[in-house]
Amino acid sequence: MKIEYERTGGFAGMRFATQVDTASLPRTDSDALRKLITESKFFDLPSAIPSAGADGFMYKLTVEEKRRRHTIEVGDSAIPESLRPLVERLHQFARRHPPSS
Amino acid sequence: MSHHLHSIYCITPPHMLRAIVESGSPAQRQWAVRTLVATEQFRGQRLAYTDLPAIVTRAAAMGKQRIIYNADNGSTLPGRQVRAEGDPPTGDAAVDEAYAGAGVTYDLFQEIYSRNSIDGNGMRLDSTVHYQQGYDNAFWNGQQMVYGDGDENLPEAERLFNRFTIAIDIIGHELTHGVTQFEAKLVYRDQPGALNESMSDVFGSLVKQRALNQTADQADWIIGQGLFTARVNGVGIRSMKAPGTAYNDPVLGKDPQPGHMRDYKNVSYDNGGVHINSGIPNHAFYVTARELGGSAWEKAGKIWYVALRDKLGAQSKFQEAADLTFKTAGELFGAGSLEQKAVRTGWSVVGLTAVEAPSPTPTPTPTPEPQGCRQSLASIFGPAQK
Repeated sequence: MKIEYERTGGFAGMRFATQVDTASLPRTDSDALRKLITESKFFDLPSAIPSAGADGFMYKLTVEEKRRRHTIEVGDSAIPESLRPLVERLHQFARRHPPSS
Repeated sequence: MSHHLHSIYCITPPHMLRAIVESGSPAQRQWAVRTLVATEQFRGQRLAYTDLPAIVTRAAAMGKQRIIYNADNGSTLPGRQVRAEGDPPTGDAAVDEAYAGAGVTYDLFQEIYSRNSIDGNGMRLDSTVHYQQGYDNAFWNGQQMVYGDGDENLPEAERLFNRFTIAIDIIGHELTHGVTQFEAKLVYRDQPGALNESMSDVFGSLVKQRALNQTADQADWIIGQGLFTARVNGVGIRSMKAPGTAYNDPVLGKDPQPGHMRDYKNVSYDNGGVHINSGIPNHAFYVTARELGGSAWEKAGKIWYVALRDKLGAQSKFQEAADLTFKTAGELFGAGSLEQKAVRTGWSVVGLTAVEAPSPTPTPTPTPEPQGCRQSLASIFGPAQK
């Protein structure tokens, strides 16, 4: 399973992004991510979940499996509670492995 | 999904909502505003909230009214009330900074531009601090200001951000998003969005300069000075004086802001780079203020404020901002005045030529055919103002 994560916007306007291939992760990390994706019902989420206001973070997540691929863009204030743990976990990855750009 | 949620928010019929927003108690009015914003949100009309007219927050004009809430590291807004107008300091730095910052921002708009709060009509200033854990952001959600504590949940050696109330210009920045929402209603995308961002930086910086009693040449023109921890190689988030130079760090990368039209960044993320391309109008304001000297909030700030209030529209781009601030300067200080020349110089330095606009016709916001909740809103308030 391949996961792409990007957080942009926010007051500081900084971009954090990472790509994760669960095949390259230790079994415990890989299982934890799969569990978060399942619990968020990721593949059932709409592709755009906007939120009102200004300076909110914008998140873009893509998950690719053998037979399916889904991308969602979600505004900070509109993140479903079930999705938040996945976003937080991916942000930790992004903080440790910042994009080269 | 949106249809399901939107039906929830359509339970209250339009005539009842009208009654609530016009004559409800403050708490009821607050609820009505939340309902309207949430409705727009779930309808996917992320920009349409800017159409909500001042009626929804028409308060008994009471002057400065601040309330600070504590989210206790959760996500529920507004949270638990911890300090109201006139209450003594709490000893919690974030609470007291949010209170003081909202106060000096209110004072700038009231004392210099004769504006009574965000809506011009005494709207209460609500702020929530200690939002979530490790939340490295501050935002305006359409109704209130929200501040995180930075990345306080990480080990000391990994922390990049302090609490977001630490810089007074960040507070001014967020509150100004509210002013823009009620005035020019600049849509939060591409050039109008970058102008929206720039207005927040301009008045955020002016709040700080006035609080420190600095002239234009004394000010540092840095946005968010003090927000970074000592680990970060940078002086702040943005530089209006020299866009693109605020930070250059192994973890955060380099400040991406352009200071000239030739370097405008066409990007898809960040709503079309609203926090990036704001460097261009930011620098135009800086140059204008330096040309004029003295206190930047008195002349340059006045020109920008009147343009935001009376001239700019939802779809205004940089060229229109140049033309309309030039026009405003002529109206306020005289055609050919030093002030008007300074505005032209400001925009020319970033690659734009301000011209005398022949009675500009504001581009109307394309409005989708009303239906469902949107129709209800339209029937309550009529078409968007301005």
